[in-house]
Amino acid sequence: MLAGASGALSLPVLTSCTAETASADSVLTGKRWGMVIDLTRCREGCTACMDACRQENNVAFHGDARWDVHWIRRASLKPKDEDSGLSEKSVLLMCNHCDNPPCAQVCPVQATYKREDGIVVVDHHRCIGCRYCMIACPYNARFFNFKENEDWPNQDYPKRSHGVVEACNFCAHLLDQGLRPACVEACQNAGAGALVFGDLNDRTSEVSQLVAGGFVKRIREDWGTKPKVYYIGL
Amino acid sequence: MKRSSVLTEKNRIKWATFFTILILLPVGLSVAGFALSRGQAAEVFLEAPDPRWESCYRDAEYMRFHHMDLLKEIRDEVVRYGIKGGITLAGCGDCHTNRDQFCDRCHEAASVRLDCFGCHYYPERALDRELLRVGMIVQATQDGR
Amino acid sequence: MAMDVSFSKIEGRSLPYYLTVAVLAGFAVAGFIATLVMHAHGLYLSGMTNRVPWGLQISMAIFYIGLSAGSLVVSGLYGVFGKMEYKPFARIAAYLAMLFLIAGLLSIFTDQGRIDRVFTKPFTYVNATSMFSINPALYSGHIMICVLYLWALFKEKGTLTKITSLVVVLWAIGTHTGTGAIFAFVPRELYNSSLLPPSFVAAALSSGAALMILVIVSLFRATGRHLDHDLIIWMGRRLLSIFLLVTLYVLLIENAHRVYLAADHEAGMFFLFGGSHSFLFWVGLITIGCVIPAILLFIRRTGTSVPWTVFASVLVVLGVLCERFLIVIPGLIHPPELFPGWEVADVVFREGVVSYSISYLEILQTLGVIGVIGFMFVVGLKIMPLAPNEARVLPAR
Repeated sequence: MLAGASGALSLPVLTSCTAETASADSVLTGKRWGMVIDLTRCREGCTACMDACRQENNVAFHGDARWDVHWIRRASLKPKDEDSGLSEKSVLLMCNHCDNPPCAQVCPVQATYKREDGIVVVDHHRCIGCRYCMIACPYNARFFNFKENEDWPNQDYPKRSHGVVEACNFCAHLLDQGLRPACVEACQNAGAGALVFGDLNDRTSEVSQLVAGGFVKRIREDWGTKPKVYYIGL
Repeated sequence: MKRSSVLTEKNRIKWATFFTILILLPVGLSVAGFALSRGQAAEVFLEAPDPRWESCYRDAEYMRFHHMDLLKEIRDEVVRYGIKGGITLAGCGDCHTNRDQFCDRCHEAASVRLDCFGCHYYPERALDRELLRVGMIVQATQDGR
Repeated sequence: MAMDVSFSKIEGRSLPYYLTVAVLAGFAVAGFIATLVMHAHGLYLSGMTNRVPWGLQISMAIFYIGLSAGSLVVSGLYGVFGKMEYKPFARIAAYLAMLFLIAGLLSIFTDQGRIDRVFTKPFTYVNATSMFSINPALYSGHIMICVLYLWALFKEKGTLTKITSLVVVLWAIGTHTGTGAIFAFVPRELYNSSLLPPSFVAAALSSGAALMILVIVSLFRATGRHLDHDLIIWMGRRLLSIFLLVTLYVLLIENAHRVYLAADHEAGMFFLFGGSHSFLFWVGLITIGCVIPAILLFIRRTGTSVPWTVFASVLVVLGVLCERFLIVIPGLIHPPELFPGWEVADVVFREGVVSYSISYLEILQTLGVIGVIGFMFVVGLKIMPLAPNEARVLPAR
């Protein structure tokens, strides 16, 4: 029991080195951002969220699967057991903004860290491009800028030069303005409404209610990363 | 103490000359550069900001010496601590509209590489987009690193 | 029993020597240029991708770090265990260990996305939970201790030699465990294994001891100094063979464990039989790297012959090189099991098994690192009295 208690105490220590504490004037305190992805509403062949994210955040696209960066992406799930009767389905993969982020645990310069509002963010001024966070992320959600990004669709937001790692940051700059992340907005506008975003600390928010409803699931909860992206229909 | 086979009594003058030249080479190049340019330092001219605006965050002397510290502080405050609403690089661009004249001129003269513009777009005011269109100011170039 | 071992600088005036120095310098320059090109244009010029973000450079980095362990064990034979007949090799071993650590650090440094930041940021911002923060501290400390150890050896300070020798061997175990931990302490299926640090240390000892045998034999042959064959035979038959057996043992358990457990079975089978890396494993690591050398060393006829020991050592070095690749690459080319029972198929990104191929620039970078430390080694032999005049089992009369 003592071992268990010390284990429970030590994990916060191991991950607390990676959490940034905000001051009183900051916009970060109090919230715990999370997302629910309803795969039953995600339409076949629709790429609205991916395109909107790429537009909004200047995510690099080179047309080459080796180096393209994806903050949110579609993948297709095929049942391994062909006789199971299950059919193929789509899934959206993105940074899960874990509460125990392995990426933040291993960043040697603390460029990747978890903000107080729960968003796992990369400080691109500090990233040295070692790619250890990419190795550590068990969800393969992080991408490296292998090549300079020639396009700059959204000049009000910085792009990343080659040599740094990036991943979805829940459009933190939009959240600061009281807007929703680009993917959520785009999915709403496309009429599907598969992405629901909100404050998990607020019990009245739609995400909290969906999570409390009990029909949500996270990817590989047994890894102990405590992701904050939940799925319906997985 | 074993005698060196490379440095001997006879060739020590030669080796001494060689190393002296090697060490003084950078100094010599600087002196030559100065002499060739006839003592004229590269002219650095910062355009005066828009006179409609009242004042900068601090005076020119302070900004000249401390702008880099200020930028580092601001970026940590905004990015890591979430303290918004203060001064920003984009805010500087409201008055100092032309990156070439505001940043690049001094930085190129001082030979200090800028890491900012590979990622940050230096904003232009609407007035400058108009001036750009009619060719009255030089377009700020994007540093693709 | 006073051991009268004398050291002296090598002559270093022959044509082969100058050629060696020139070739190594050429490699170093080529590597430097390759690194500059890669960092001016982006790491897409390497064979790495978003699925395989670590490749040749990191594999070679851990290979070099591993080699430093074996060198230190050989110098520890004298410093820690008091085996006087190994005193002649102590200085070379300590110097080589230092150079391999430098090579490891250099390989990692040149692999970063933003080298311009790597000179300042990792020292200003440290993350105590990150192996990439802890390890450079371990490596740098290790280099410092090696320098101190070398100094103690040069100045013939008996007590200091004993103390630093012990410290450096213990620190080496720490360094190598830390290097193994870079991979083991990460939640990736083929990385996440408690046996990875010990297997890393075992392979490090094997490769290091093997490389020391190669370096010593080549050095004495090239300089024409006397080397008692029994010293090499002992290093092969009694030291290297044991390290090989331990390596095989740990590898056996690690793979058996993975294949046995249902949860890890698929990943374990992929590692052993699922791709071209499996060829590297069975042929490169197991057969060429462990089994054949072990047999050669244990059989009396071959184990007591220096040429065969040298051959076995070459095989071990090659085998451990394969092993370093096998630590890094299969874990990345194998996709994580995100949805048990489901296979993730590509839509916009490569979700399944991918492959990794080396690019020319990466090879040049590797040659560059070899060039730098090779140059430092051969020139060091000439400007410092590292090499012993002779190495005998019994003290010279």
